[in-house]
Amino acid sequence: MSLVAEAFVSQIAAAEPWPENATLYQQLKGEQILLSDNAASLAVQAFLQMCNLPIKVVCRANAEYMSPSGKVPFIHVGNQVVSELGPIVQFVKAKGHSLSDGLDEVQKAEMKAYMELVNNMLLTAELYLQWCDEATVGEITHARYGSPYPWPLNHILAYQKQWEVRRKMKAIGWGKKTLDQVLEDVDQCCQALSQRLGTQPYFFNKQPTELDALVFGHLYTILTTQLTNDELSEKVKNYSNLLAFCRRIEQHYFEDHGKGSSSIRLS
Amino acid sequence: MAAPLELSCWGGGWGLPSVHSESLVVMAYAKFSGAPLKVNVIDNTWRGSRGDVPVLTTEDNFVSQPAKILNFLRKQKYNADYELSARQGADTLAYIALLEEKLLPAVLHTFWVESDNYFTVTKPWFASRIPFPLSLILPGRMSKGALNRILLTRGEPPLYHLREVEAQIYRDAKECLNLLSNRLGTSQFFFGDTPSTLDAYVFGFLAPLYKVRFPKVQLQEHLKQLSNLCRFCDDILNSYFRHSLGDG
Repeated sequence: MSLVAEAFVSQIAAAEPWPENATLYQQLKGEQILLSDNAASLAVQAFLQMCNLPIKVVCRANAEYMSPSGKVPFIHVGNQVVSELGPIVQFVKAKGHSLSDGLDEVQKAEMKAYMELVNNMLLTAELYLQWCDEATVGEITHARYGSPYPWPLNHILAYQKQWEVRRKMKAIGWGKKTLDQVLEDVDQCCQALSQRLGTQPYFFNKQPTELDALVFGHLYTILTTQLTNDELSEKVKNYSNLLAFCRRIEQHYFEDHGKGSSSIRLS
Repeated sequence: MAAPLELSCWGGGWGLPSVHSESLVVMAYAKFSGAPLKVNVIDNTWRGSRGDVPVLTTEDNFVSQPAKILNFLRKQKYNADYELSARQGADTLAYIALLEEKLLPAVLHTFWVESDNYFTVTKPWFASRIPFPLSLILPGRMSKGALNRILLTRGEPPLYHLREVEAQIYRDAKECLNLLSNRLGTSQFFFGDTPSTLDAYVFGFLAPLYKVRFPKVQLQEHLKQLSNLCRFCDDILNSYFRHSLGDG
């Protein structure tokens, strides 16, 4: 969005309180959604739960195309549509709710840096695994991505998306990485997160912030998604404080509200 | 004793030992960790590789990409992060990710995509250091690579438009510079009194932006207002690179 459009949206956002019928759109949960999109969607849901804002999750096969930026999830609040965690956090802030107001400047810098770390390493690794690892692509991704569409559209869309993701991987230098190197990067990222979390309940001690929501979204999805092999979730399971962190957020924010879609047990 | 380590990288100018961010990161890290590097500046002879610069060569190893080179140096016991705690190590990774996601697109844009800058400064500089006829092709390819990287990571599929992305990437870069400035505060380096990997990365990304003279300078102007970051770059240049300043 251009600067003017964003300022305009913020103005409008500030004018109205959070409505009861806010909805979050993502792809179909059972058959279509992929690991990386599920992680993003869960992160946004966790964030909104932490802010105590009600949200209804709606699954649509064409969620990706409905989104203003082409990425899921997006929320429909009042008569505005905002996609991706970053802009959603800004939007929610314009409405007067924020999780990171209590942080000082240095802590805010750290929070942003760690969020970029998750995006840079975890999200890219998830995309790599889904779209560049032949085994996963063949067995899981292609079938899931194209599942709502008839032949030959399902194949065409899947190949198009794969080509797009591969182009991106090549541009950022991940094109030549092997799966082992990617898994090592994931390990390094988890180690950094584990060291930063330490023995605290949340990353910035007592109160969760958007960083906690983002980390929870990704780690929880990695731990609970069935892939061709368990290497990715094994990397996360090595760090017991991260497992405890995920369980804590799941219990605190998802089970209490009886959300059926997210009460998957962590084994 | 350590085998001789040779680093191939782009040369210097405007008071910097190298104008290329990645080369500068490696050079700075080598100085901080005390690794004896023999620096081979790429000139316009046909000797030496031009792709994938910077490249570290030892007797039987060939390492490219700054992250891998730094890892290699650490394994050779040249470790600038020796005194960091585990949490500081984690912070290093996070801040490097912040630099790559938020600052790098705007730096690439300033050097390689903004036409005034590219055609008057960047292209002639690089072309003068590449032998003909590669000098006609390689800078263009590097520019396209930079544009690609910006659009693919920040643009919106399926139609990638630079206009929409430009405002956003500069805004993110300015925010990133502000965050770095806040984090640095009044300390000499990011983690105490001795420089570490993070200092090498920040120096590598900021110094070219700070020193190279461009016609279109909005990001540079913003950086110059953050006096502690400028002081940080100048300090490192004076303490570690005083004797090996390249010429323009």
